[in-house]
Amino acid sequence: MIITSIRRTSRQNLSKVLTTMLVPSRYTIERWSYTLQRVSGVVVMLYFVAHVIETGYVVGGPGVWYVPPYEVAQRSWETVKASLKDPVFDVGLGIIGLLVTFHTINGVRLTLTHFGYTLKRPHRPEFPYEVRSFTNFQRGLFWLSISFAVFSMIYALDTLLGVFRA
Amino acid sequence: MRNEIILKVYRFDPTSGKPPTYKRYSVPITERETVLDALLYVKEHQDATLSLRFSCRMAVCGSCGMLIDGLPRLACYTQISELDTDEIEVRPMSNYPIVRDLVVDMSGFFEKHRSVMPWLIRRDVREQNQPTKQYLQSDEQLLEYLQFSYCIKCGLCYAACPVVTAMDEFLGPQALAQLYRYIRDSRDEGATERLKSAGEFNGVWRCHFAGSCSQVCPKGVDPALAIQLLRRRTLFMK
Repeated sequence: MIITSIRRTSRQNLSKVLTTMLVPSRYTIERWSYTLQRVSGVVVMLYFVAHVIETGYVVGGPGVWYVPPYEVAQRSWETVKASLKDPVFDVGLGIIGLLVTFHTINGVRLTLTHFGYTLKRPHRPEFPYEVRSFTNFQRGLFWLSISFAVFSMIYALDTLLGVFRA
Repeated sequence: MRNEIILKVYRFDPTSGKPPTYKRYSVPITERETVLDALLYVKEHQDATLSLRFSCRMAVCGSCGMLIDGLPRLACYTQISELDTDEIEVRPMSNYPIVRDLVVDMSGFFEKHRSVMPWLIRRDVREQNQPTKQYLQSDEQLLEYLQFSYCIKCGLCYAACPVVTAMDEFLGPQALAQLYRYIRDSRDEGATERLKSAGEFNGVWRCHFAGSCSQVCPKGVDPALAIQLLRRRTLFMK
């Protein structure tokens, strides 16, 4: 069923789907949270794959991901070594720190929200209507996740590059 | 206050084989005029071929849903002055097949609504046929579902939902909110059947709380709240 769904989606206008997911302008922060949670999830997942490959090289040397001929593995290992020394890689790690922290704390917020724990009870609607699910508590948790994420990035950049040390 | 605005209207006839276009109309406006008033002015005085759906003109029938300045809204409920712009873009609602211009095919939306059995299910058939008593409810019992029963089936929530955009099998905010409305009704005895469809692959678990449905709802129904409470009910039975 998932494959059918993906095929149908690809038959639809894929750019429309991506625009809807990636450009939440005119909507509330809940929609921004939805988009950021998806983007951070995908980026962190890709990072984990790259991280396993890179750690394998660091621990086991060029032969650990042996793909014949050996020269290919050797070249890949040299590329990995060069990228590990590159400050751009450290900046990338800082961004990963930001995304992982945001995804984790916002994930806790979403887990609570998904079971109605941060929301108000239903009421008698009277104009102007109050959206009972847009509570200050769950919105506060979103901003908390943003704050912690930014702090994590600053801490990571400071540790890796020392940019904030005088 | 403006005396005139430009309406940038999406025009598309799927039977013509031509791609969609936007057409601009200059419309004179007065105070407290709505987008629907402006569209009807265009239809009456400038372009009779413009297709749109409307009926009650007072946000009760839910017919005139469209994307106004990028957000799903009822045309009869949207004052031109509140948009505070010289040019208003009007498009058909997202997530629906287009019939023509601003008219969309809502049959899939109503099919999903019907699939959650939006009526009271009772076991006492004899009492239903020959009623002898009233089904009394306390204020607390009423408030459990009253908010969700205000739904006018306008489909704005469905047009705003990013999950429906990505996956059209998803039941959608309207149907799930109605499902919750009926299982919370103390007179209903069909919770088991309803919760079965809520717990399916395309049901309550696909919602990711983007909250757009609740933002655009013109009647304060708050489908996002209903769906989160339904999820709790599905998992914990409370």
